[in-house]
Amino acid sequence: MTTMATALPQFPWLTLLIGLPLAGALLCLLQRRSAGECRWLALATTLATLAVSLWLFVTHGDGQSGWLLREDAAWIPRFGIRYTLALDGISLLMVLLTAGLHTVAVLIAWPEQRRVPLFMALLLMLESGLMGVFLAVDGVLVLFYLCWEARLLPMVFLIGIWGEEGRRRAAVRFFLYTLAGSLAMLIAMIALYLLYAAQTGAPSFALADLARTRLTLTQEYLLFGGFMLAFAIKAPLVPFHTWQPDALSESPAAGSVDLTGLLLKTGLYGMIRFAFPLFPHATRNSLPFLAALALLGLFHAAWNAYRQDDIKRILAYSSISHLGLVVLGLAAWNATAWQGSILLMVTHGVVTGALFAVVAMLRSRTGTRELAELGGLWGAVPTLSAFFLLFALASLGLPGLANFAGEILVLLGTFRSQPLWALLALPGLVFAAAYLLRLVQGMLWGPAPAARGMMADLTVREWLVLIPLAVLTVWLGLYPAPFLAPLAGPVQAALGGLP
Amino acid sequence: MTLLDLLALAPVLVLVLGASTLLMVGAWYHEPRPLVAGGVAVALIAAVIAGVAPPAPTEIAGLFSSAPFARYFAVLWSLLAALILMLSLRYATERDFAAGEYVSLILFSAAGMALLSGATSLVGLFLSLESFTLALYILVSFHRNNHQGAEAGLKYLVLGAVATGFMAFGIALIYAASGTFHLPDALQGLQAGEHLRPWGLLGWGLVLVAVGFKISLVPFHLWTPDVYQGAPAPVTALLATGSKGAVGAALVMVLAGSPGTWQELVPLLWMLALLTMLVGSLCALPQENLKRLLAYSSVVHMGYLLTALLPGSPEGYSAVVFYLTVYTFASLGAFAVITSLSDASGEPQELTAWRGLGYRYPVRGAVLSACLLSLAGMPLTGGFIGKFVLFAAAIKGGFTGLAVVAILASLISFAYYLRVVLVLYGSDESRELHPGNALEHAVLLVCVTAILLLGLYPAPLLELIATLIP
Repeated sequence: MTTMATALPQFPWLTLLIGLPLAGALLCLLQRRSAGECRWLALATTLATLAVSLWLFVTHGDGQSGWLLREDAAWIPRFGIRYTLALDGISLLMVLLTAGLHTVAVLIAWPEQRRVPLFMALLLMLESGLMGVFLAVDGVLVLFYLCWEARLLPMVFLIGIWGEEGRRRAAVRFFLYTLAGSLAMLIAMIALYLLYAAQTGAPSFALADLARTRLTLTQEYLLFGGFMLAFAIKAPLVPFHTWQPDALSESPAAGSVDLTGLLLKTGLYGMIRFAFPLFPHATRNSLPFLAALALLGLFHAAWNAYRQDDIKRILAYSSISHLGLVVLGLAAWNATAWQGSILLMVTHGVVTGALFAVVAMLRSRTGTRELAELGGLWGAVPTLSAFFLLFALASLGLPGLANFAGEILVLLGTFRSQPLWALLALPGLVFAAAYLLRLVQGMLWGPAPAARGMMADLTVREWLVLIPLAVLTVWLGLYPAPFLAPLAGPVQAALGGLP
Repeated sequence: MTLLDLLALAPVLVLVLGASTLLMVGAWYHEPRPLVAGGVAVALIAAVIAGVAPPAPTEIAGLFSSAPFARYFAVLWSLLAALILMLSLRYATERDFAAGEYVSLILFSAAGMALLSGATSLVGLFLSLESFTLALYILVSFHRNNHQGAEAGLKYLVLGAVATGFMAFGIALIYAASGTFHLPDALQGLQAGEHLRPWGLLGWGLVLVAVGFKISLVPFHLWTPDVYQGAPAPVTALLATGSKGAVGAALVMVLAGSPGTWQELVPLLWMLALLTMLVGSLCALPQENLKRLLAYSSVVHMGYLLTALLPGSPEGYSAVVFYLTVYTFASLGAFAVITSLSDASGEPQELTAWRGLGYRYPVRGAVLSACLLSLAGMPLTGGFIGKFVLFAAAIKGGFTGLAVVAILASLISFAYYLRVVLVLYGSDESRELHPGNALEHAVLLVCVTAILLLGLYPAPLLELIATLIP
């Protein structure tokens, strides 16, 4: 396997992953003739990107630690800034998820009629920015920051232009929240960079260098706080989550898939990749605090999800609740829980993405997202309802479906190191069952509203969206081993040297 | 004055002689197109001479430097003049501006800015500052039939004259305290005459007030929004970029020339920077008029610059020069979009006029968005790298508190810039405005290329600037 990588050492696969969607976006913007061509162009781009990431997964997904691929070039020498991209097992999974979900997002956005070229271009720019976030790891914090910010703007536009009624407010709120966090991270980043430069005399933004900076515990806490604020807002952890339900429920369908499936993951990924390894002592001391926030989020969001009447908001809160479990697994700080957490990040992306896709399909038929105005859908659109049931069951962690493996690993791992936390988290899963079953019951069964006309069941395009997602959901539930394999090495390495 | 001095002055001489010639020609010949073309040619020749001629080792008449630092700005302001002239052609023709006078005034002001950026004596500082301000007094109210323009001209004139008074008096006090006009010495001379030191510092305080007026630091910023709103859009572009940038460059010259002698002024500058960023940001938030919004945004940007000047470090000075360059292109781009959408009936200033324009005029919508995002400091634009070097220099110099305020101001600035961008793309219906011409689009292209290039690959310019700092 590795011989493949050494045989082609020069080919910039990682730059290709960022560049392909960007090129597609520019092409979409330049050709302004027909919406149809743009859709196909966007689909071709996302498929090509998916092919590249699948190829990387097949050739490199065997669980070695260290960087699987690395590209490095000088960029701004005066400030020690380099253009460095690198791929390890964790980023490999994230890259695959990004490429996969964007293909789905393009298909979901297919019926969009307004300003298709711009829409597709933004979607592709988002993909490019996300790839950058997941790849700009080893060397360049600045590059990471660039991509971190670069993926923000397309999302704001997707919400602000194609969103639903409250879009403008939701877009600006999303933007300012995220930006506040990123600027805190920027200050911390610059401070760390200056401390390192003052200690060694050679400025560098490389993660490996900065991790060697000698910090007092106070400095470490402050800088850790700056980084974590950005990641906690993005994840979102509970006291910083208030932007998320608005943004998710007001954004267009493809945007919701992207936002929940990928953008939220960048916060967790940032913790794993940057905040934890850069500030090990602060991390170790704040793990209980992190776990407390995670548990709080798990219950608070589950409770809120139960109280909502808007199906998109229910799903939004359910995302927060699930990500609480992910953070709990990270806070448990052992290999089993971490593998579970990262797997759960992936499966949650697939399942929640699928749920938002189904909701969008339902909404285009019924024209509403109020739970009270739905009901009896099983009789009207049985196939669509069956898919919805499948994804909802997967979301609540039914054994044999996607989320189960991740959740059980998180709980097992947590129980091993912190039994109390695991016991506290268990009722959260019951909560998840409660709100998801309420959702399923309210939508699929019960009496249909009188005023509803005939509805068509799935179209070919919708089959194409849902079948792969359903296959993945079952596959991830029954046989997650291929997706756990690449994690073994990096997770061990990330946990090394700490409790 | 020797031949060597004249050679060292060549870029400015070209600008001044060209301006005078065009002024004479313009008295008999009124066709705008050849006159503007002549002006662009003069400015470009000056830029080339400033760029390629070897820098002279000497000062010119003890007043102006012709060191690489001054040369850099001579190139920048000459290019700026060329771009503004290209931008003005249709605008000036539609409003029946007297072309010869307009072109020569723009060139004169560029010459003044180039001199100011290299001033090495208080006399040189005063002369060059007044020479381009004088040109700007006329340019601001050049559109005689527009009473907003007349009001703006009057405001600028009265406040500018007050500032001039402050500066003259301040220079007199400094001279009394230090016994010299020459710049590093005038600051260092303060150390020698201990008992006169308070007077000298008061003099520097007064000069600072005058500078505060020129680059609109809070609380001397009140004229800015009105003058920006009333002046013709291409002139506002010059006002926002060159006139502020040249004063900023002169500040760098003065402060970098005499390290460690201006510690007493630091608290004052600190306060000014803080107020400028906070008040400017808060005032920009509710603006419904794009030119007024850009006016307040320029106020905030001057606050950022002060933040990086305060540490008095080479990194800070390089950061200021880099930022000024990026800011010049971004700000020019924004005003260029306003100019190119204007027609004989007026300029689209109110935000309501901009609704949905991003779809009707995709190029200009994109350029305006790029410029505003660069001003805000969005990554991938030059504005981000600029802010990065500014804030890094401030934090390194120990001004962390001010850097945090600057970053908060950037956060607020995203709110008001993004509002404009969402207005551009947030609506389906849009008004028909002027389609713009090729010259204007060329200016837009230059601006947007500069912004993106400096955002993606700033290394060469950063290296160049690091060698310039005196």
